[in-house]
Amino acid sequence: MPVLFGITLVSFLLLRLVPGDPAQQILGNRYTPEAAAGIRRSLGLDQPLLSQYWLFLKGAASGSFGESYQYHRPVGELLLDRTGASLLLVGLTAAFCAALSIPLGIWAAVRRGGVVDQATRIFFTLGFALPAFLVGILLILVFGLKLGWAPIGGYGTGFLSHLGHLVLPALTLAIPLSTVLVRSLRASTITILESDFVTIARLKGISEGQILLRHVLRNAIGPVAVVFGINLAFLVGGTVVVENVFSVPGLGSLLVGAVSTRDYPVVQAVALVLAVFVVVVNLFTDVVHGLLDPRLTVGVQR
Amino acid sequence: MKSSTSSSMRRTRRVRSTATLGGLLTLAVTLSACGGGAEQTSDDAPAASSAVDTLKLANAVAVDTLDPIQASANESIWMDQNLYARLVQTDPSGKEIVPDLADKWDISEDKLTYTFHLRDGVKFADGTPVTAQDAKWSIERARDGEDSAWGFLITPVTDITATDDRTLTITLSKPHAPLLADLAMYAYAVLPQKAVEADKDFFNKTPYGAGPFKVTSLSPQSSVVLTRNDNYWGPKPKLKTVEISIVTDDNTRLLQLQGGEVDVIENPAGNVLKQIEANPRLRVDLFDSTRVDFVSLPLKTKPLDNVKVRQAIKAALDLGRMNTLAYQGNAKVATTFFPYQMLFWDQSAVEPKQDLAGAKQLLAEAGYPDGFTIPLIAVSADAAGQAQAVVIKDDLAKIGITVDIQSFELSTAYDKQRPGTNGMGMRYWTNDIIDPDEVATFGADGDGGANAFNSYWKDEAVSALVNEARSETDETKRAALYAQIQTAIADQVPFVPLAYAPFRYASGTWVKGFKVSPLGNYNDSLLTLTVEEH
Repeated sequence: MPVLFGITLVSFLLLRLVPGDPAQQILGNRYTPEAAAGIRRSLGLDQPLLSQYWLFLKGAASGSFGESYQYHRPVGELLLDRTGASLLLVGLTAAFCAALSIPLGIWAAVRRGGVVDQATRIFFTLGFALPAFLVGILLILVFGLKLGWAPIGGYGTGFLSHLGHLVLPALTLAIPLSTVLVRSLRASTITILESDFVTIARLKGISEGQILLRHVLRNAIGPVAVVFGINLAFLVGGTVVVENVFSVPGLGSLLVGAVSTRDYPVVQAVALVLAVFVVVVNLFTDVVHGLLDPRLTVGVQR
Repeated sequence: MKSSTSSSMRRTRRVRSTATLGGLLTLAVTLSACGGGAEQTSDDAPAASSAVDTLKLANAVAVDTLDPIQASANESIWMDQNLYARLVQTDPSGKEIVPDLADKWDISEDKLTYTFHLRDGVKFADGTPVTAQDAKWSIERARDGEDSAWGFLITPVTDITATDDRTLTITLSKPHAPLLADLAMYAYAVLPQKAVEADKDFFNKTPYGAGPFKVTSLSPQSSVVLTRNDNYWGPKPKLKTVEISIVTDDNTRLLQLQGGEVDVIENPAGNVLKQIEANPRLRVDLFDSTRVDFVSLPLKTKPLDNVKVRQAIKAALDLGRMNTLAYQGNAKVATTFFPYQMLFWDQSAVEPKQDLAGAKQLLAEAGYPDGFTIPLIAVSADAAGQAQAVVIKDDLAKIGITVDIQSFELSTAYDKQRPGTNGMGMRYWTNDIIDPDEVATFGADGDGGANAFNSYWKDEAVSALVNEARSETDETKRAALYAQIQTAIADQVPFVPLAYAPFRYASGTWVKGFKVSPLGNYNDSLLTLTVEEH
């Protein structure tokens, strides 16, 4: 709760510290000081900052975020319109991360220094080093334009079409994130492979495959889930960039558009929603971690 | 589209890194274009010519609202033109008023009464008849509505009466030459009064009027789908559907066009036009516009209050070179502050020539033989404006003036420019109506509310000319008045008009007949254009 309160305060103040006048955006060419004053009055921007903030808080507490300056629609409606695409994008990214990093991480750990280990290291280091929007453009060039396998940006209509349109943006997000996950999964797998209970299991004559599935994976996933949770802030930031490159109608592109047009109510609401999302996922990560790691039980010190 | 909330301290570094990345991306796009990307049809196949009935257009900017009295983004305004008919409209050349819902109108001897006669049997898209009462209500809403930015245009209108279902009478307090041009503007669209009043969300769902298309799906900032309105009074469009998507990233838009996912894109980046031309399946479309780029010289920044200093700055600029660098030669050098595609543009005005000796002479006379230092505020994301700023810096250095270019994101840049005390500023203007009254009021009338394009220059004689030209209905006299106004701005230089920039589009060769009028709308071309299989 205090986190969320802090986020609202910071985003509110930052917005107003940045120069730029919503009235100028609304009037464009037709700016006259008189017309601008009228608009500021009607938007309540002539009120003292404190009372503006108080009004926003009161509204947010009752689930109403006011009306967008730019779209002349309730902000709540815009959020509802946009949340689906972002959630789907994050979900697909998580799925890609799992599909990429679990097999590769374990393989790299089991065959240390092998071809796969080296190749993943080089590939993912590159993926991590390049900025998200550049990775996005490269993916578009290769898979969208040259091979024609995936649509270039947009969102399509219907669930399957949405998924198809999100393949490239999700890959763009998953590649750098998988870097971190593969490395941490490799490290935790190696630790576990060298631990006593694995040695004992081997002495018992349990097959290598069984050991990996039963003991290693279960114990290695915990730390990886934590790493994923920690990297979530990065993922949210990445989503904002990637949604703009690929024109995905999600919260990220809504946010960027709203910042540049100084659409205060929209920026504040999206910032709050993203913050809530991060907090909830972090909580969820802790719970999952607890469930996956048998050494963590409530009330017992490690 | 980039948004920046970072401090100005990191500005220069950020801009430079963006430029490098921008260069990389351009290279990537270039490579793919040179590779003749998107060759999905085999070379030996005969050119397909069967028509498809859908046009897919990718815009760079979101549609903010479809309520015509509130629209501010050009992309929304152009959308309005497809949806809502007005009493009269501008023809495709952008220079003449032609019938729309009203097929004839009478103007009284004293020019104070206009009587409009609606066509027989015109209907809104939902099939209900368009009445004079709808027109009265819509025009009053645009004039008096709290949300309307456009009431000021028709202040001389004293009374609007629907004498019967098909006759509308408009009475004026004094002659008002721009009236027809004002009524042809999107804000004065005729809307279905009952439907709009019955649903406060009318414009957020699937708004319609009596134009050639209606909205069938609307998600702001993402996509708008238009469908042919079969009740339209005029020629039926060949297209059944127009899908407009919003793709803010320049590179993504171009890639979508190369991949054949869209048919037309708005605003391809200026530096990739040559590569687009090199691709046999694509075409660059440049259209005459009413855009005028200018640099404002606000009198509140010393020594710009000295007219000789302003004249010196103008004389030092090489506008031809600026054009080559900023627009790859695709723009025209501005001769006056009026758009050249507009009524009463002064055709006798000549291109200003660079005269460094004369410029130095003027500076010396003004008391600045060694020049001075002055900031220039530019918009970081505007490539053309950045190039223009660099040429200004380079040219003014030749007469001893040191220019400090300060780039900001759009909103911030305009904030810095507004008080007029922070130095020169890069700006541009585009018209909403074909009549010059609007640009004259905003640019040359110091009392006109916009402080003469924010320059804080005021000349009572010129303000009087602007007011006189508004009420003068004799075209020859009016042209003479506007010529005087254009000359006054050229002599006194509250700002320097730099270029007449074209509207830039790129399209697939499979699109036949996409055209944009000087006011930016393409509704006329949507009536006739065809899209072939590709």
